[in-house]
Amino acid sequence: MTDHVVGPVEDFPPGTHRLVQLGRIEVGIFNVAGVFHALPNICPHQFGPLCAGTVNGTTACSAETNWTFAWVRQGEIVTCPWHGIEFDIATGQSLSSPRLRVRTYPVRVVDGQVTVTI
Amino acid sequence: MSTPSTIERTDRATLADMVVVDADVHVNDTPGALAPYCEEPWRLSLEALDGASYPYLQVPGFAPNMRLDPPIPGQHANRSVSTAAEMRAELSELQIDVGILFPDHMLLFAAIPNPEYATALAQAYNRWLLEEWLTREPGLYGVVLACPQNPDFAAREIERYANEERVVGVYLPTAGVNPLWGDRRYDPIMAAAEAANLPVCLHSVTLVSPAFPCQLDQFENHFARQVLSHAFAMMANLTSIVHTGVPARFPELRIVFTEAGIAWVPYMMWRMDKYYNEYRRLVPFLEKRPSDYITERMWFATQPIEEPDDLKDLVVTIDLLGGPERILFASDWPHHDFDHPRAIMKLPMPAAAKRRIMGENALELFGIPAPAGKL
Repeated sequence: MTDHVVGPVEDFPPGTHRLVQLGRIEVGIFNVAGVFHALPNICPHQFGPLCAGTVNGTTACSAETNWTFAWVRQGEIVTCPWHGIEFDIATGQSLSSPRLRVRTYPVRVVDGQVTVTI
Repeated sequence: MSTPSTIERTDRATLADMVVVDADVHVNDTPGALAPYCEEPWRLSLEALDGASYPYLQVPGFAPNMRLDPPIPGQHANRSVSTAAEMRAELSELQIDVGILFPDHMLLFAAIPNPEYATALAQAYNRWLLEEWLTREPGLYGVVLACPQNPDFAAREIERYANEERVVGVYLPTAGVNPLWGDRRYDPIMAAAEAANLPVCLHSVTLVSPAFPCQLDQFENHFARQVLSHAFAMMANLTSIVHTGVPARFPELRIVFTEAGIAWVPYMMWRMDKYYNEYRRLVPFLEKRPSDYITERMWFATQPIEEPDDLKDLVVTIDLLGGPERILFASDWPHHDFDHPRAIMKLPMPAAAKRRIMGENALELFGIPAPAGKL
């Protein structure tokens, strides 16, 4: 477990995400409404560059929405650019298959520096 | 455009050890690109379409399709490849040595109703393919478009391109073709392909059309239309080809089915064999079971490869349809559901079987020399 300082917090404003190279590992750093998350940039499906995808919300339709379409979780979902598979940025879990999940790396802000632990 | 930037090093060695032939990649055939290769008056039509901001694979009067769904944020972007140099670079990044080029918009070619215009468009596409794609970069091969709206012209086109080194097959536009391939009006095309020793390659695309089996308008979203379109097209066309005796009447003709995966094939083999037992008297030109023709002279491209939880199930499926000799790796690059070569390389199969699927079968089938430094 090693701490990697990836840059000052001002470089990662809320609602943005960036790729950083940490040794041999490419990591996506996400600032979701002020909360930082980090995911490996490899989709478990066919190894596409997951974190190079767009961050957005997604659709929901359930008893909670009275079975009508709703737009939910804006800013919390990253979509792999290769095959469009959606992942929950906070947990690394895909929305479509229990078998498609990426790990998450701990991220915190230390003395104004975004720090990822790998 | 998004290019493959993350390829794990572990497979490089393995893929680098074998020839990788991709039986299905797509070139972006816009109206403006084809216009200079098209005869008048239809060139004027393509020039009029050039530059209009129509969605991908939906250009009225060129790639007619109904785009029925609203856009929803968060979807992956459309990709396209516009030059041979781009294609060469992107295939190399995917560790693909040889690509067999199919069109983008001309996937919807059979839905064009005007036979004169369709004829001019087919001629322009074939000229453009040869000039812009097949003479500029190593490892790019093509399939000549056979115009179903004008079978006699299509047969002459096949003859015209038969001796071009980089033309290795005949593309049969399959989405919306009416009647289906197998109808006797297409016999000149099958005869020309057989005489030229060029495999015919069926390729479909999701299309909403009154032509069987594309009547997908009742489905309320693209999930359903995508699930059914290619698979139903291939099942229907395979059945049509068998029911008029194409494999018996053209005994040297080789037939390739693309972009429908492979798991539908054992089902159709068993189903056709069952009813051949019962109804052989209706198809007496078939001298053997339908599955025998399939395992002797038909090939199936992998993409979009099925992804069962247990990958051994896919290996069993390959054996059920005749073994690795029947299977051609295909990526469908750059389309939305393309498969990376790893999708096949990770199957629990012997290396020799993977070598056949990833390239050796296609080199033999299409008569392509092995790339330098490979094999």
